[in-house]
Amino acid sequence: MIGSRSLSASLPRTGALPWLAALFVALTLFMGQSAPLFEWLLPGLDNPVYDRHSFPDLVLDHVVLVAASSLISVFIGVSAGIFATRSVGQEFKPVISAVSAIGQTFPPAAVLAVVAPLAGFGFKPALVALALYGLLPIVQNTMAGLETVPSATLEAARGMGLSKREILTRVELPLAMRVITAGIRVSVIVNIGTATIASTVGARSLGTPIISGLVSQNVAYVLQGAILVALLAIVTDLFFERLERFFSVDRN
Amino acid sequence: MIELDQVTKTYDGKNVVDSVTLSVDKGDFCVLIGPSGSGKSTTLKMINRLIPLSGGTIRIEGQDIASVRAEELRRRIGYAIQSIGLFPHWTVEQNIAVVPRLLKWSPKRVRERVESLLALFHLEPGQFRDKYPHQLSGGQAQRVGVARALAADPEVLLMDEPFGALDPITRDSLQEEMRRVHEETGKTIVFVTHDMDEALKLASRIAIMDEGRLVQVGSPREILNSPANDFVLDFVGQSDLGLKMLACESVETRLEPAASISRSAPIENIRSQFGQADHVWLLSPEGQVEGLLTEAPGGQDDLDRSLRPLGQESHATPEMSLKEALSHMVWRKTGWLPVVDGDGRLTGEVGLSKVMERP
Repeated sequence: MIGSRSLSASLPRTGALPWLAALFVALTLFMGQSAPLFEWLLPGLDNPVYDRHSFPDLVLDHVVLVAASSLISVFIGVSAGIFATRSVGQEFKPVISAVSAIGQTFPPAAVLAVVAPLAGFGFKPALVALALYGLLPIVQNTMAGLETVPSATLEAARGMGLSKREILTRVELPLAMRVITAGIRVSVIVNIGTATIASTVGARSLGTPIISGLVSQNVAYVLQGAILVALLAIVTDLFFERLERFFSVDRN
Repeated sequence: MIELDQVTKTYDGKNVVDSVTLSVDKGDFCVLIGPSGSGKSTTLKMINRLIPLSGGTIRIEGQDIASVRAEELRRRIGYAIQSIGLFPHWTVEQNIAVVPRLLKWSPKRVRERVESLLALFHLEPGQFRDKYPHQLSGGQAQRVGVARALAADPEVLLMDEPFGALDPITRDSLQEEMRRVHEETGKTIVFVTHDMDEALKLASRIAIMDEGRLVQVGSPREILNSPANDFVLDFVGQSDLGLKMLACESVETRLEPAASISRSAPIENIRSQFGQADHVWLLSPEGQVEGLLTEAPGGQDDLDRSLRPLGQESHATPEMSLKEALSHMVWRKTGWLPVVDGDGRLTGEVGLSKVMERP
């Protein structure tokens, strides 16, 4: 126990978050001025830095897209997970599991292809596709987290006179929070990556320079978008790791 | 206090609890006991409506439990289960305070109540208040579990095999503590177990169940002395039934007058004692029992040779159980033990042949 604790304390995992976050912000702000670097790295490009949109704008668009779609996923996913584990919702459990699984088995490009003709081009179809795509881990982890609450704990809660609602909000959800957060973490990280494809249906994101670079065979554009997306994903992941630790029952 | 009237629970057409009628008086420690599947736990859980009744009625202080909202009823009844029932994400204080907070007690009153309950179970409040359940030993967690059940000062306490998961030594000390807490608080307790020794140790009344039916209700002594049928006889445990019976009776019930004489008496007087008795207790000049003489000593020098020393460790007291007295007799290889009062004065004796007699 002592050994593992001192080992984890010596790892720079928690300490890395502020540094990586600062690096991400710095790169976002100064990516526009990185022309000399990319000229040196990839000589012979007409235009070494993507300049149709500013990088801070692209990052903001990306974050808004992911945040909005994830909020929808969390709201629907957690509600569905709670419903499926209530006695009234037991029958719907297989259906809910299946629907959320199907949402994920479709490749994200295919989901976009299906949604775009229905919802048009731009932000909206991307939002719907990402929200659907991020549903599965949240639904499944919500159900799993609620089901791991020991039955003795629930019986004690009932025996002491907590109402169903109090049991859910005071006992079940707090105890399931770590597992639910783990599901949200997977969902958000996947969506940060998937949101790059959203630019194929006209939603602006960090995928826009990547797609543009691929089309015009400009590797510098691809790198500039990809570096920022990767850093955003890593920073978000570290943030969620902290959050999960906060919610775990023994906080050591 | 608690009246069960023709209480029945049916699952899939089978009566798991079959018209059980039982009344538990105020201050009783009633132990429901039976093999697994006998319906004892189900019966207990019907009292706080964790399980709905299929038939019959249950009244607490004359009030039908069906006429109260389930949550309200449960807040009036303490409920303790095995230690895993503690909320793992809450501290000891938060766990104990659940029901008082639901009942909207003032924070000050809650805090005082938690403190006095921890003290009742010999848990130092400063040390334990802010601990999480995973930082407690099994015995400590179970104490907290019982303290939580008592938190709102309920009239009735229901306990469902609360000590089942503990090791024998911890279980023993928890049982002792439970007995003390029952005496101090005078709560009405209904306690489920499958362990007959636990039942004999704690119960003022035992209710034995088999296949959903109530087979016998009575004091531990009544159950041991006159088991209602072969099932009860088997269940109580034929192998050491005798010892269990002796465990519920005190030396006082078999006390006989004892012949004794002081060491400082003339030897002729000591010898003459054997005219009326076949054994005589020899006392020190201060009046403490030194040992047993089973034959008349030949002379003063002979006194210590014929004395069978039985020191303080092998003295019986009137409150001692006959089981313990018998154990001393076997260990010291003697047919009699001196029975002494609090000051160590001989008040009588207890003999092997008397122990064997039925009361």
